[in-house]
Amino acid sequence: MALLWTLLVVAVAVAVAPACTRYLGRDAGYPLGVIYLVATAVFLPAAAAVLRGEPVTYSAAWVPDLGVNFALQADGIGVVFTMIALVIGAVVFFYSARYLHDGRHLSFYLVMAAFTLSMVGLVLADDLILLFMAWELTSLASFLLIARSGYGGELASLRTMIITFVGGLTMLAAAVAMIARTGTTSVTEVLAHPVWDEDPTFTTVMAVLVLLAAFTKSAQFPFHVWLPDAMAAATPVSAYLHAAAVVKAGIFLLMRFTPAFHETPVWNYTLIFTGLFTCAMAGWFALQKTDLKKLMAYSTVSQLGLIVATIGVGTGYALAAATLHVIAHALFKSGLFMMVGVIDHAAHTRDMRRLPALRKQMPWSFATVVIGCASMAGIPPLLGFVSKESVFTAMREAPGPEWVGWVALFGAVGASVLTFSYCAKIVFGAFVDGDRDDLVVHEAQPSLLLPAALPILVGVPLALVAGVFDNPVGYAVQAALPDSDHEPHFVLWHGLVLELWLSLAIIAIGVVLIMNRARLRPWAEHDTLNVDGAWVMTRMVRAFSTLGRVLVRTVRADHPTRHVAPQFVMLSLVALAGLPAVMATVGLAPLTPDLGRPIDLMMLVVIVGGVVGMVTADSRLAATVSLSAVGVAVTVQIFSLGAPDVGLTQLLVEALTILMIMLVLQKLPLRFGRAPRYGQSAAAGLAIVTGVAAGLLTWGLTGRRERTPVAQYYLNEGPAETGGDNIVNTILVEFRALDTLGELAVLGMAGVAIIAVLSTIRDADVDPPPEDDRSYVPAPEVPLREPGSTAYRAITESWSNAVPLQLLVRTVTPLLALISAILFLRGHNAPGGGFIAALVGSAIVALVYLSAAKDHAVGPPRLPVYLIAGGVLTAIGAGLYGLAFLGSFLEPQSGYILGYGVGTALIFDVGVYLAVLGLVICAFNLLGAAQDSKEHTRERADQQVEGELPGPMDTVRGERPGRRTTFLASDTPPLRGGGRR
Amino acid sequence: MTWVIPITIGVLVAGAVYLMLQRGMVRIIFGLALLAHAANLILLSAGVSAWRGEPLGDRLDLETAADPLPQAFVLTAIVIAFAITVFMLALAVIGHNDDTKRMPETGEFHDR
Repeated sequence: MALLWTLLVVAVAVAVAPACTRYLGRDAGYPLGVIYLVATAVFLPAAAAVLRGEPVTYSAAWVPDLGVNFALQADGIGVVFTMIALVIGAVVFFYSARYLHDGRHLSFYLVMAAFTLSMVGLVLADDLILLFMAWELTSLASFLLIARSGYGGELASLRTMIITFVGGLTMLAAAVAMIARTGTTSVTEVLAHPVWDEDPTFTTVMAVLVLLAAFTKSAQFPFHVWLPDAMAAATPVSAYLHAAAVVKAGIFLLMRFTPAFHETPVWNYTLIFTGLFTCAMAGWFALQKTDLKKLMAYSTVSQLGLIVATIGVGTGYALAAATLHVIAHALFKSGLFMMVGVIDHAAHTRDMRRLPALRKQMPWSFATVVIGCASMAGIPPLLGFVSKESVFTAMREAPGPEWVGWVALFGAVGASVLTFSYCAKIVFGAFVDGDRDDLVVHEAQPSLLLPAALPILVGVPLALVAGVFDNPVGYAVQAALPDSDHEPHFVLWHGLVLELWLSLAIIAIGVVLIMNRARLRPWAEHDTLNVDGAWVMTRMVRAFSTLGRVLVRTVRADHPTRHVAPQFVMLSLVALAGLPAVMATVGLAPLTPDLGRPIDLMMLVVIVGGVVGMVTADSRLAATVSLSAVGVAVTVQIFSLGAPDVGLTQLLVEALTILMIMLVLQKLPLRFGRAPRYGQSAAAGLAIVTGVAAGLLTWGLTGRRERTPVAQYYLNEGPAETGGDNIVNTILVEFRALDTLGELAVLGMAGVAIIAVLSTIRDADVDPPPEDDRSYVPAPEVPLREPGSTAYRAITESWSNAVPLQLLVRTVTPLLALISAILFLRGHNAPGGGFIAALVGSAIVALVYLSAAKDHAVGPPRLPVYLIAGGVLTAIGAGLYGLAFLGSFLEPQSGYILGYGVGTALIFDVGVYLAVLGLVICAFNLLGAAQDSKEHTRERADQQVEGELPGPMDTVRGERPGRRTTFLASDTPPLRGGGRR
Repeated sequence: MTWVIPITIGVLVAGAVYLMLQRGMVRIIFGLALLAHAANLILLSAGVSAWRGEPLGDRLDLETAADPLPQAFVLTAIVIAFAITVFMLALAVIGHNDDTKRMPETGEFHDR
């Protein structure tokens, strides 16, 4: 339980961070740091148990169906990394409380705490899924912490995220493959699985995937580029994440999977040589930098390389050395990062060329940095010296022929010369050299200096009693190499061994270099390569987007021809090639006799006439008339096929559609205009081929079967099952009500989509003045009698023309309402139902709209949206009733009131009715609005969302008016998209 | 007479394809309407046009009753086609110009 409690205490830090920052501002670092120390104390019993050799585990079922557990486990590795994360985290929080300027810093403290939680979760995870999730969360937190540092951090954070997520993907691939192969998600069981010995190929592939993941996180070549980039983040972030935590996650991963891979040559050699190369390369780059923080970043990359190489050696001694160096590095590097922050605070720059010689003004800082750098450079008697000596010894144990060990050793030594040099450069560049005297600098206040110095200073006594690490490191080694019997024994003084002479040689060369630094610095301080990682990443991103644009050019177009034509071509190909193939191989079933009736032929004649009329018409009005002729013929055909419900629906829809088309046509040019001839013949050719294909398919694939069982069921059982005689209607509202619900949603969404589209376009663009159109013809001057005469009114004013229709509406409306109600109620037993009734109701809307002398919106502005929403909600409510009381969504319940069958199906039909009515009102109000009417289309669209407005809103896409906008009244423009009011 | 409805469907599809390959949005909408008619008739003939009795419980003749399932599908399809038509009509009217190759001014960039 101690493990779970540790995580919970850290989670408390996340939970209280908002409150702490609200009341304490930057001082929130103190309570949060104390919480980390509490977490450490909670963790100590578990750590003590591990150091007694007792495993500490916790497990709770998480996704039992998949065998995934929320499993935690503390072993030697977990203890070391947890302690680093918590203790360094606490120190960094204490430091942040003084480093940050006054202010709330919520995002900093919150994300830092969330990061610690995911880091501790990662190192304690005993389940691959949990481990992967924690791994990704550390990446995300790291991204956020860089991204929050403002404009400079944006691109850097994105590059960091891309690189670390590449590693996340390989980690995911590895985790999934391991789970699939071993059949368990437990890390312990996976690592103990015999597959690692039995299948070298699998082991090698997994090793490569895991080491790629670790390389991206621990900034190994060629993924090292993100770390210097990440220096855009605040200094405490660098001190914690980029020295002690997130970069160590990769090291942790390598150690965690060492039991499986330590005898895989690819693993050993890739780690050793990439690590040493990274170490040397980053050391060289560090030497070139004058910005202290950039220098630190490269030095971190370099030190990580050394650790990676040591892990690659894969022996017990090497892993002990790597673990000790992880500890030592976490201490001195986080301290040094914080000291850079101290210098930055005091001198307001961290560029050596602009820093005065600070040793006089900042003696304490000077002493601390000297100790930290000495530890990094491996000078006795410091912890860094002990660990580096061990690393040298470990290098000689590198697997393979003996020369590999010597190459590794001298690679490490060569890199250490660079390490010594850049350490010296830090000290001399910041504190000794520099002749600037115009800068008044004071020593930092103790509350800032102390937390920064603490990790460095504890390295001094720890080196003298290096033996205290024997036990924890020993258990870490045992966790990484279960079959190793190595018992580490760290001491400061090994005697006059080779490693000591090497250390002395490094120091000697380094001293010579320091003596000649005045001559060497100008030579070193320029970039070897004039490209950096950021440049490469930018180029890659640009190349990919160019490639994407080239690829998409083949398929993108705004006009629809290019999108629809291929589909017709494909349909024709499938039909014309597939049908003969089917006939040749399977053969067609015999046609059912008596498929056609004489009336079909009559309708064919009408339809052919109508289609020819539509295709040849140049006048829009003529084409519309032909369309309505086709529609009526099709309706008759549907009736003749024995589908009264469908026929009624088709007829009513046809009428409404034609009305809406007429509304639209009044705003469009009178004629279609001509198109290029070759395009027309191609279209005609494709049309004929597709038509033939469709006809052949219909002939070949329909009318050749017996009744299906499902049709038999509906016909035989339907009426008894539902209590309704109209089988089609019962299918719609009971048997397949979910289909109808979907259709209802489409219907409603069409209305919402119209409003949405129209309200993204400027008023002047939706309704341009008619003179703007190419085909504009000014109204003809009709010689009329004088204004006021009857003839004049009849031509120029429409109200008198509308009077007959208004009279008609008065008498017809109640009649239509009655018919609508009857159709609605009888729908279950006779042709009718929600749709048909709603379409009749819509006819009332159409009549009311058309009978007005001028365009005038029907109903209150927001009525359509409410109707659509109400309809969908009613239908869903009827469905939920079924779910709650009858056990299945949309399951109908029927009863009888006054002899009428009433049930949830009827309520569902009410929903259908409302939604259809909403769409129709929405369409009439929007399509009818015109330039010369009082309200423009855009204003109508906005009103459907906002309610009554005094005029069109002059807003464009991306601006948000907000609820009940006051834009027009107060002249305050609405906020930009995404802004909060 | 078995070939009549297939020919009707073929004519409707041919007209639909021709119109949908035109530039003007209104003609495309008309094409879509014809295509919807054709699709509905195909669905109904999938219910075998030899049986044309109305599937109403109180006058049901199991020998001649039409298949109710395609009818339910077609009813749904008609309403959805209606919704799409209305939506496209709204698009056609923007800028008082329904030419899909020469886009109306909307403040956006267009690739041809």
